[in-house]
Amino acid sequence: MRSEAINPIKITSELLRHRYLLGQLVKRDVLLRYRGAMFGVLWIFLSPLLMLAIFAFVFGHIFQARWPHQPDGLPFWLMLYCGLIVFNVFGETVSRSPTAVRGFPAYVKKIIFPVEILPLVPLGAALTHAGFNFLILAAALAWTGHFSAGLLLFPLLIVPVLLLGIGAAWFLAAWGVFIKDMSQIVPLFVQMLLFLSPVLYPVSAVPPGLTFIYNANPLGAVIEAARAAIIGQPIAWPAWGAALVLGIAVAILGHAFFQHSRDEFADAL
Amino acid sequence: MPSDDIAISVRNLTKTYRLFGHPGDRIKQFFTLGMRQYYRGFTALNEVSFDVRKGETVGIIGRNGSGKSTLLQLICGILKPTSGSAIVNGRVSALLELGAGFNPEFTGRENTYFQGALMGFTQAQMNERFDDIAAFADIGAFMDQSVRTYSNGMFVRLAFAVAISVDPDILVVDEALAVGDAQFQARCFSRLAAMRDSGISIVLVSHSTEQILRHCDRVGMLEHGKLMGDLGEPRQIVNQYVATLAAAPAAGAGIAGNDTVRQEPFLSRPGYNPGEFRSGNGKARFVDFRMSAPKARGGRLMLELDVIFLHTVSRPLYSLFIRTADGVTLSSTNSDDKAAQTQPALTQEAGTRATVCFDLQPNLCAGDYFFSIAVSETRYGDKEVLDRRHDAIHLVLHDPANLGGMVDMQPLIRIDSQPGEVQR
Repeated sequence: MRSEAINPIKITSELLRHRYLLGQLVKRDVLLRYRGAMFGVLWIFLSPLLMLAIFAFVFGHIFQARWPHQPDGLPFWLMLYCGLIVFNVFGETVSRSPTAVRGFPAYVKKIIFPVEILPLVPLGAALTHAGFNFLILAAALAWTGHFSAGLLLFPLLIVPVLLLGIGAAWFLAAWGVFIKDMSQIVPLFVQMLLFLSPVLYPVSAVPPGLTFIYNANPLGAVIEAARAAIIGQPIAWPAWGAALVLGIAVAILGHAFFQHSRDEFADAL
Repeated sequence: MPSDDIAISVRNLTKTYRLFGHPGDRIKQFFTLGMRQYYRGFTALNEVSFDVRKGETVGIIGRNGSGKSTLLQLICGILKPTSGSAIVNGRVSALLELGAGFNPEFTGRENTYFQGALMGFTQAQMNERFDDIAAFADIGAFMDQSVRTYSNGMFVRLAFAVAISVDPDILVVDEALAVGDAQFQARCFSRLAAMRDSGISIVLVSHSTEQILRHCDRVGMLEHGKLMGDLGEPRQIVNQYVATLAAAPAAGAGIAGNDTVRQEPFLSRPGYNPGEFRSGNGKARFVDFRMSAPKARGGRLMLELDVIFLHTVSRPLYSLFIRTADGVTLSSTNSDDKAAQTQPALTQEAGTRATVCFDLQPNLCAGDYFFSIAVSETRYGDKEVLDRRHDAIHLVLHDPANLGGMVDMQPLIRIDSQPGEVQR
C-alpha cells in the first residue's frame, strides 16, 4: 500500500487541490435534485421547514412530548430537530455513498478523473442541506426565545461526524462498486442507527445497564454535545474528543481502503 | 527514462482482467487474500511496447476485442497495468467517448464549464476559452438549453469542441469521431491536423482504415492483445490488417460468428459482400436487404433494410455510408438528417421489426461501390452501435460507361458558334 494513502496531511492537500472540481460536483448534485421542480431550489429551504412544522404539530400539540429531565427547557421538537441535523449529515452521506462511484461509471472509465473525490460529493450535499437546516434551527430558536451563543459552536462540534461520514463513505463507495447490495443494506442500517442514536431521546433516559452501548457510539457523543451547546449546558468534551480521534482514524482507514481498491473499479464497472 | 522527444513510452504493457462469475466471488477473493483463485484471468493486452514521438500521430487498428480500448485506457492512466508501464510525458486529454462527463439535465454552457473543471480548469480559464468553444460547436442558442434537447450532431459537436479546448500535449482519441456528420468529421480532423502541426502527439484508434491512412504517420496493428510487429508505414499495416479481415470475415466479437447470423437472408442476396466487417452489441440486427440499382443515368437507387430488434431500443438511428473500393467515403447520411425528410424514429420494442428505405440519387459513374450500414442508439450521450455492417453491400454500376472519374455531374454543355471570321 502506498504510504500517501494514510498520511493525513497528504490526503488533505490532495483533496484541497481538487476543491474547485469538488465544489462544482456538489453544486451539480444539489441542483440536480431540484432541477425541473416548480419551486426549484426553494425546496432546499421548504422541505426542512415543512418537516419542522410537522414535528412541532405532532410532538408539540398532539403528543405534547417533554424532553426527559428537561421539563421547562427547549420544546421537544426543537431538541429532536437539533439532533436530527447532526445525524443527517452522517446518515445522508452514508446512505448515498454506495452509489457515489458506481453511479458515475463514465468518470471512472472514460475520463481522467480523481475518483477519490466522488464519495465527498454526498457529504458536500449533506452539509449544504445541514447548513439550511441550521439556519432554520437558529430562526426557530430565536422565534421561541431560546437563542443562545452556544449555537455558534455547532459547526465546530459536527467535525467528528464529518470525519466519520467521509471515512465510512470512502469505505462503502469502494464496496458499492463491487457489491450492488450495499445500496440496499446501507440505508436500512442508517434507519436502525437513527433509532439507536440519542436523537429522539437523551442518553440520560436510557436504562443504566445499557448506556455502555451509547458510550460506544461516537455519533451519540456529538449529538449530545451539539444539544448541550444549544441549551447552554456544559459540553462533555472528553467524549467529543474521543469521537474526533475515532473520526480521524476512520477517515484515514476509509481513504486507504478506497485507494487500495480503486485500481479494480474500472474492471468492475 | 524516456528521452525528451518521446511523448509516450509503452514498455511490455500487459493487462489481465480478473473475471468473476458471480459478484460474491470477488468478496471471497478479497477475504482469502490470494490463497484461492475465484476468477478467470483474461489477458486483454500482452507485452505491448512502442514509443510515440512528440508531434507524431500514431494509429492503432485492430478488430473489436483486440485490446485497442484497453491500450488507450492504460495510456490515459484510467486503468492500472498488470505489468509493464506506459509513461506519458505531458498533459493528456482523452477523447475516449465524446461527452462522457456531460449530464443531460444541464445546459450546454453548464456542461462546458463543468467539463473544464473536470480537466482542471477554473471558471476564469474557461471564460477565456468559452467563445472558441461556442464558435467551434456552432450550436447557437442551444448553448443555454439542456443537453437533453440536443440532436446527436449538436451533442457531438459541443463535446468535441470542449475536449480539444484544453491545450493538451497528448491527445488520445478512441473512435470518438466515428460519429457526427461527415462535414463535422472533416472539421474535427482539420483541427486535429492543426494541433499536430503545433507539436501535439495524437494516438488514434479506429476501425476506419480510411481515417488511419489519412491522418497517421505510423500505425500499429493489435490482434488478440498483441502488437503485430512494430509500428510501421500506414499503408503497409493497413493492407496487412485488411488481409486478416478477409481471412476471417466473421470472427469479430459480439454479433458476428453467431449461428443465427449465418442463416439471415442478408447473406444470400445478390450484392452481398462476404468480406464485410460486422460489429455491434447485437441488440438489433440487419437481417435482409433489397437493392434496386438505378435503371438509367441519373436514376434513383433504392436500398431497403430489414432490422429486427432483440432488445427494446429508443430512437434507433440508421446510417448509411457509400465508399469506393479504395475506401474513400463518397457520401453518408443518417435518419437524423432533417433534409432527408425522415419521420422521427420511434421506440422499437424487443421482438419488433423495422424496414428502413434509403431512396438516393447517387449520380455515380460506372464502378464498384460499397455500402456500409449501421443502426445505433444514443443513451445519455453514449452512442452504442447495435449492428454495423461495414462494406456489407457491393454495388456495381455500368452506366454511364464513358465518363471519367466517380461523380456524374449530369453536365449540360452549350456551345454557341458565331459565323464569320475572327478579326485579327
